[in-house]
Amino acid sequence: MSDPMAEIRASFFIECEELLESLQDGLQMMDDGESDSETINIVFRAVHSIKGGAGAFGLNDLVHFAHRFETAMDEVRTGRFVPDGEAIKIFFACADVLGDLVRASRDETPILDEMTAPVLDSLERLVGMEEEVEEEVEFVPAGIALDLGGLGDLGGGMGDLPPLDLPALDMPSPDLLSADGLPEGSETPDVAGDNDAQAALGKGFKIHFLPEPALFISGNEPLYLFRALRDLGDLTVRCDTSRLPAAEALAAETGYLSWSLVLLTEEPETAVRDVFEFVDGLCVLTIEPITNAALDGSMALPDLDVPSAQIPLAPGDSAETAPVETIAAEAPPSSPAQAAPAALPDRLAPGAAAAPIPAPIPAPAAAPVAPPAPIESAAESTEPSDAPSREAKNAPTQPRATVRVDLERVDRLVNLVGELVINQAMLSQSVTEAGLPANSAVSTGLEEFLQLTRDIQESVMMIRAQPIKSLFQRMGRIVREASAAVNKDVRLHTDGENTEVDKTVIERLADPLTHMIRNAVDHGLETTEKRVASGKPRNGHVTLTAQHRSGRIVIDVSDDGGGINRPRVLEKAIEKGLVSPEAQLSDGEIDNLLFLPGFSTAAEVSALSGRGVGMDVVKSSIQSLGGRIAITSVEGKGTTFSISLPLTLAVLDGMVVRVAGETLVVPLNAILETLTLTDDDIKQLGPETHVVQLRGGFVPLLDLGAELGYRTPEQSYVGGIVLLIGQEDGHRAALVVDAIEDQRQVVIKGLEGSYGRVPGIAAATILGDGQIALILDPMDLISQASGRTKDRSLSLSHAG
Amino acid sequence: MALRDQLRILVVDDMSTSRGLITNALDSFGIRTVASASDGPSALQKIAASPVHLVISDYNMPGMDGLHLLHALRSAPATRGVGFLLITGRADREIIEKGKQLGMNNFLKKPFEPAGLRAAIEAIVGRL
Repeated sequence: MSDPMAEIRASFFIECEELLESLQDGLQMMDDGESDSETINIVFRAVHSIKGGAGAFGLNDLVHFAHRFETAMDEVRTGRFVPDGEAIKIFFACADVLGDLVRASRDETPILDEMTAPVLDSLERLVGMEEEVEEEVEFVPAGIALDLGGLGDLGGGMGDLPPLDLPALDMPSPDLLSADGLPEGSETPDVAGDNDAQAALGKGFKIHFLPEPALFISGNEPLYLFRALRDLGDLTVRCDTSRLPAAEALAAETGYLSWSLVLLTEEPETAVRDVFEFVDGLCVLTIEPITNAALDGSMALPDLDVPSAQIPLAPGDSAETAPVETIAAEAPPSSPAQAAPAALPDRLAPGAAAAPIPAPIPAPAAAPVAPPAPIESAAESTEPSDAPSREAKNAPTQPRATVRVDLERVDRLVNLVGELVINQAMLSQSVTEAGLPANSAVSTGLEEFLQLTRDIQESVMMIRAQPIKSLFQRMGRIVREASAAVNKDVRLHTDGENTEVDKTVIERLADPLTHMIRNAVDHGLETTEKRVASGKPRNGHVTLTAQHRSGRIVIDVSDDGGGINRPRVLEKAIEKGLVSPEAQLSDGEIDNLLFLPGFSTAAEVSALSGRGVGMDVVKSSIQSLGGRIAITSVEGKGTTFSISLPLTLAVLDGMVVRVAGETLVVPLNAILETLTLTDDDIKQLGPETHVVQLRGGFVPLLDLGAELGYRTPEQSYVGGIVLLIGQEDGHRAALVVDAIEDQRQVVIKGLEGSYGRVPGIAAATILGDGQIALILDPMDLISQASGRTKDRSLSLSHAG
Repeated sequence: MALRDQLRILVVDDMSTSRGLITNALDSFGIRTVASASDGPSALQKIAASPVHLVISDYNMPGMDGLHLLHALRSAPATRGVGFLLITGRADREIIEKGKQLGMNNFLKKPFEPAGLRAAIEAIVGRL
């Protein structure tokens, strides 16, 4: 991407997705009854920003729609319109359409009137839509005089601004005073300054602190004093560097700095004096209470209305009266919350400096740019230790710094790391084969290499992971649309939306999840009348939860509907010839009929679910992600679909086993335990049917070699090694293997591209010795085996 | 040297798209020294660390909006004289009036063409 505009355009659409997300969040909060102004502002700003960006790229349809939406939100923001639940529904619909328009603009597909007309109509009915005529506001641009003569060396590090006609900090010129808006004839500038500050600040103390050289000689450090003060309340520190001489005149053992501090606190003055107890007599200290509590605790931003009346700096004046001053005297604001207050006390500086300082005041011309050291300390002293907690409070408005990277690049990295892991395994094997002692430099070096490889791998995987929130938010829309289509009141609850899942998994989950949500709304939940009749709340509830559970992601889709109507499901399955009429099926088996291909067909097409996609498709798309799906349903209470997915699609912790001369990998998370069989453990039920007796229960025994077609079933499995495999629904099976070789992380190499889906096999991998091994899908293997009718020809011969 | 070689500008906008658009335009005018910040407080921090001649700021930003930023700049002696161009999507009278009071040097309504931005800047600092 060499065209910068194309790049900006692409990043605009990515940014739009973020804005749409916060828009959804904000609306959800409003829907939950949190209609505070900040929430409304978030919503407004999201729409506003999308509009602004769209305007820059000439996306007129998008601008037009966003403008209408923005105008409506402005009504809400200004309190002229108070939205009820119905209104928020319409806002949600607007947000959905806005998202559609953004994507259509991105993909350059046409935006049709019918996409926007219905919601715009509802919006218009809601808040009215007289197109406001933007009045021309008169404004005369105010130029500034830039003296750039000395700018030649601007690149040179110090970053000071050019030719400075420095007004003496301690002797404000009359011009400057009037620019400050001090009332004509006010007694003294400093008093006015004080009042000004008091009006803006609230309860606390104004402290002026001028250390004498003796203070430093006795080993005291102002910074520690300020830290102690900070513990008492909100502290703003300003360092006065005006007495600093030019560098060559600087005497190392003389203190040149003084500080003006504003402490906002409820503590008594004695508490403040106590802080200075040990430097008593070593400094000039004044402490004055601020009595006027004009402002409450919301210090973060100065109220524009108050000061704007006092510091109008006529634009025309600014050039003459307020030349750029040295910035060095300014303690840089250290946290967002502090930035504004840091600016305020500035205006008390002239007065504060003039009154209590007995020290001689250098001529203005001698006031140079302060050397970096004292500024640093001043900066540090304004840095509150509670900054993180403040920032946490501000978190919603302070996005974390991020870098946008092309996914392809990440994937290349993932792939390379995969190769690195394989390479490292091969190297380890060679070292072992070379017979080097374990304490040799090569072996220990390799050990560290292994650790590093693991760390790199994990970090790389984390790049691909993202919160599942975006997916859940899309489901909000599905629920809204689905419930409107079937005329049910449905609320979606989400939990665990910050659970991080591989990006590809998130993308490929969208379709199956959409289908499941539609199903839940359409089939899972009863009609409103039915709900009311059975004493349930009118509103149906669909809940989406995500969580990490033993190395996998588990996503549940639950409804509080009537549960699966098993007699009807069975009847339908018999009708369609999927099960024989004589079959005796358990509840669980009947539930699982839903996943059979051909179970849901065009015969039950409804407005929603009948889109030619059945639960069988859902199941196979979950399986293609290495996932599994299970149903639990309680009559009258509801149904839960549980999807369990691997954390990543790229690596897997596996147990390397040998069966009939073949090397296979069994995913570690499927294995509950391993054991060696004794005669007592095995019970034979039929010619080829064995079970293992395990702590009072029976578990079916499967010969892995036989299941995969590597060998015929053996007569006796005594002495055999079995892996006990556990399934989500609690079903277990014991897999017989010949030997357990190793336990290691393997890099998954998909087979589907080349071979399609192979029953019982999840993927393949390359082992340390370069050998290719198949990775089992034990759950699939077990369900295949329980059918017992599988076509053996499907079994793979060894791929290596 | 031309003004554009020496002018130092800080662009403040919470949307990276807008920052990109503005800096891209400034780049096309040949302005060499352009920094950007995503919110008011970090703008103040950046200016303190490295002074600029002109601040181009969005109005509607979370936390500290453009006028609050202007107010903070005008309140500190060191930044009192910096040029300030406000960019706003809604040129409400209220915003403009407040901007006037606070000493805003110029404003520009979104969306704008690069030429419009150039003109708005030149009205403040003179020919680039």
